Amino acid sequence: MGISENHNPTTGHSSVEPNLVNFLISSVHDTKNSLCMLLSSLDKTLTNTDVEKLSTHTELVRVNEEARRINNHLAQLLTLYKLGQRIYPFDAQYICLSDFLSGIAAQYSELLRFRKITLETHVSPELHWYFDEDLINAVIGNAINNAIRYTRDRICIFAEEKENLLLLRVEDNGCGYPAAMLRNNNDFMYRIDPLSDNTGLGFYFSTMVVRMHQNRGDCGKLALENGGFMNGACFVVSLP
Amino acid sequence: MITNPTKFSPVSINLSGKNILIIDDYQEMRTILRDMLRALGADVKKMHMVATGEDAIAILKKVEFDVVLCDLVLGTGKSGQQVLEEAKYLSLVGPSCLWIMISAEKAAESVSGTAEYQPDAYLIKPVTEVSLCTRLEKIWLKKKAFAEIHQAIKRSDYSEALNLCDQRLASDKTNMSDLLRTKCNLLWITGELDRAQDLLKDILSKRELPWAKVALARIFFKKNDFKLVKTLLEETIAVNATYIETHDLLAQTLQVMDDLAGAGDVLERAVKLSPNSAMRQQTLGSLSLKIGKLENAERAFRKSIALSENSVLKKADTYLGLVKVCSARNNSDEAMKVLGQLTKNFNGDDVRLRVLAATGLVHHQRGEAEKAAQLAIELDQSLSKKDERSLTSEESLEIAHLLLVAGDKEKAICLLQSEIKNNPESPMLHKVVADIFEQAGMREEGNRLIEATRQEAILMMNRGVLLVSKGQYEEAVCAMREARAAMPTNVRVLLNLAHVFIAYIQKKGSVPGLIDEARNSLLAANELSPGEPRFKRLMTTLNELV
Repeated sequence: MGISENHNPTTGHSSVEPNLVNFLISSVHDTKNSLCMLLSSLDKTLTNTDVEKLSTHTELVRVNEEARRINNHLAQLLTLYKLGQRIYPFDAQYICLSDFLSGIAAQYSELLRFRKITLETHVSPELHWYFDEDLINAVIGNAINNAIRYTRDRICIFAEEKENLLLLRVEDNGCGYPAAMLRNNNDFMYRIDPLSDNTGLGFYFSTMVVRMHQNRGDCGKLALENGGFMNGACFVVSLP
Repeated sequence: MITNPTKFSPVSINLSGKNILIIDDYQEMRTILRDMLRALGADVKKMHMVATGEDAIAILKKVEFDVVLCDLVLGTGKSGQQVLEEAKYLSLVGPSCLWIMISAEKAAESVSGTAEYQPDAYLIKPVTEVSLCTRLEKIWLKKKAFAEIHQAIKRSDYSEALNLCDQRLASDKTNMSDLLRTKCNLLWITGELDRAQDLLKDILSKRELPWAKVALARIFFKKNDFKLVKTLLEETIAVNATYIETHDLLAQTLQVMDDLAGAGDVLERAVKLSPNSAMRQQTLGSLSLKIGKLENAERAFRKSIALSENSVLKKADTYLGLVKVCSARNNSDEAMKVLGQLTKNFNGDDVRLRVLAATGLVHHQRGEAEKAAQLAIELDQSLSKKDERSLTSEESLEIAHLLLVAGDKEKAICLLQSEIKNNPESPMLHKVVADIFEQAGMREEGNRLIEATRQEAILMMNRGVLLVSKGQYEEAVCAMREARAAMPTNVRVLLNLAHVFIAYIQKKGSVPGLIDEARNSLLAANELSPGEPRFKRLMTTLNELV
C-alpha cells in the first residue's frame, strides 16, 4: 500500500506528511505477516511430541496462544477497515454446519486439551446454511476465546434451524456475563472502552459481521444471555 | 451429535505417492508447508518446491502434479494468479489436480474472477495442519462429486450433464449450491433461457444470491430488456458490492444504453474493489478513451499492461489502446515507444498488420503524410497476401482507418461496409465506423454509407426467409448462400440459413450436403454468439431430420 500526500482542505496547502491511515494499515499488514511466520514456526515446534517434556512447554503454549490472539485482533481490525470502506469481499457460501463446527473444534483442540476444557458440538449432519465462512469462523472463534477464559471446564456449541433462522449458540459453565453487559444488549457497537480490560473489539466485530448477513429484508443478530444448557454464558448468533 | 475435538482425525484423502508442488517466495514458508504435508502423509521425495512463478511453470511442464499449493503474492515476476492462468491455459494441470491458493487475507479474486481460471480453494494465513487438511479433504470430495458432470461437459454432451446434475441434486445437499449454479450455466449454454430464468427465479425466491441475480440479468440482457437488467444489477450492488461481475455486466448494459459516462463510473468503482484484473482495466481504458477521459484511460491501460506483462493472457489490444491515448494526448513519441513494446512482446506475424496500421495513423496525426502513405501501401500489400475473411473485427477497423486517411479509400470503404454487413444490428459498431469516417473528414458520406449498407444487409438477411414464405424454396436456398458469402460472421444470416434449409428439406426432401451445410452454419453462429435461443431450437429440428 502506497503513501499518499495529505491535502489539507482548510488551508489548501498540500503537505508531504505521510497519510497516517495508510501507514497504520500497511504496518498492520506487515505485522500480521510476521506473526503468521511466527505462528507457523511455533505450531511446528509444538507438534513435536518431545516438546511436552520441555520445562518451557507451558510458556511456549502461552506464547502461541497470545500470538494467535494478536493475529486474530489484527485480522479483525483489517476486516473492519475493509467493511467500512465497503471493499471486503463478502462471500456467502452454502456451508455444512457439521463440517464447519468440527473444523473450528479442530482449530482449538490443542489449546483446549492444554487447558483441560472439553468442547462439544451439537449439530445435525443434514444442516446447511448460507454464510461467509471466514467471517463467521472469526465470530465463533471470538466466542470460544471468551468462553475459554471464563468457563469452568466445559463449552458447548449448538447449531440448529429455527423459524427460518440459523441459530448458533456458544455456551459455557462459567459464572455468566456480568449484569452490565446484558443490560444494553444492543449496543456492543458503542461499547469500546480503551481503558477497560476488554476493548470490545471482539463484540463490535461480531456485531458488524452478523449484521452484514442479510436475506430478503432480514438481517443477522447477536445476543448475549445467561443460562442455557449449563447455566453459564451464552453467545447467540442468529442468521437469516 | 457430539464430537470430541481431541479425536479429530484427518484425511480421507491419501497423499502418499501424490506429486505435490509448493510455490512460495519465502524459504521458511516452503519448509513449513512441506513439513505439514509430510505430517499429513505425503512423500518428501514426491514434493517439489520453487520460489518463483517462472520456476513453477518450468516444473509444471515436466511433472504432472496432483496437488499444488501456491502463494498468491510471489514478489517480482509472475503472480500466483498468473501461474494458475498459464498452467490452465497451457493444460499443464488436469481437471483432477487440486490447486490451493494461499493468501495473507481474503482476496477479492476469491469472490469472483473468471471461473475458468479459479483455483479450487483459497486458504488464509496462518495455514495450519488442520486448516490445510480440512480444505484438501473438502475439495477432494467436491472434485469427486463433479467429476462425471465435468466429463460430460468436456464432451459437449450437455443433456447428459444436465441429467447428472438433476440426479445429484436429488440427494447431495452439500453441493446443492454449486450444482444449481452448474445447471443454470448448462441451460444458458444450450440456449434454454426460459428454463434457466424459471430456475433462477425459484432460487432467488429463497435466497438473494449475487451470482443468481447476475445470471438472471444476463438472460434479460440477451432478451434486450436493458432497463430491467440495470434495475436488477443496481439492486444487487446496493446489497453486496463485492461480487465484481455485477459491475462488469452493469457497465456493459449502460454502454448499450448509450450512457458511457455512467458505465465508466461503474468500472472505476469495480477496479477499486478488485484492481488486479488486466481485462477489466483494459475495458475501463477503452471506455475512458471513448468519453475523452484521457488521463483515466492512460492510467487504466498502463495498469492493464503492468498486470499482464508476465501473463500468457496479455493482449495486443491493451497496447494499441494506449497508443491511441498517447496519440490523442499529442504524445506521439510515447505512442511510438508503446508500439515498440508491442512488437517486442508479441509474435511479430500475429500483430504485424495492426502495428502497421497503428504506426501509420501516428504518422498521419503528426502530419507526416508521406510516411503514413508509405505504411498504407505496405499494409495494402500484406493484406493482399492474406484472406480478408480471416481478419478479426478490430483488425479490419484499424486497417480500414489507415487506408481511409492515407491510402486506398475504396478498399477501406469495402472493409468498413463488410463490418457493417456482418453486424447490421449493432449500434455500437456503427458508431465506431462513423467515428472513423468523421476523422477522415467524411462525416456525411460516411453516415449515408452506413445507413445504405445496413439497409442492404437487412434485406439480404431476410430475403431467403421471405422467399420461403412465398414457396420459392430453390431461390431461398440460393439467396441464403449468397448472404452467407457476403456476411460470413452475421449471426442472424447463419441462423436464417439453417431455418431456410430446414424448410427446404421438410418440403422437398433432403439433398446430399444440405444438412451438413446447415449444421456448419449453426455451429458458426453459436461460436460467434453462444446461447442464442434459436440455435438450440434449430439444432433440435435439424437433428430430427437426419
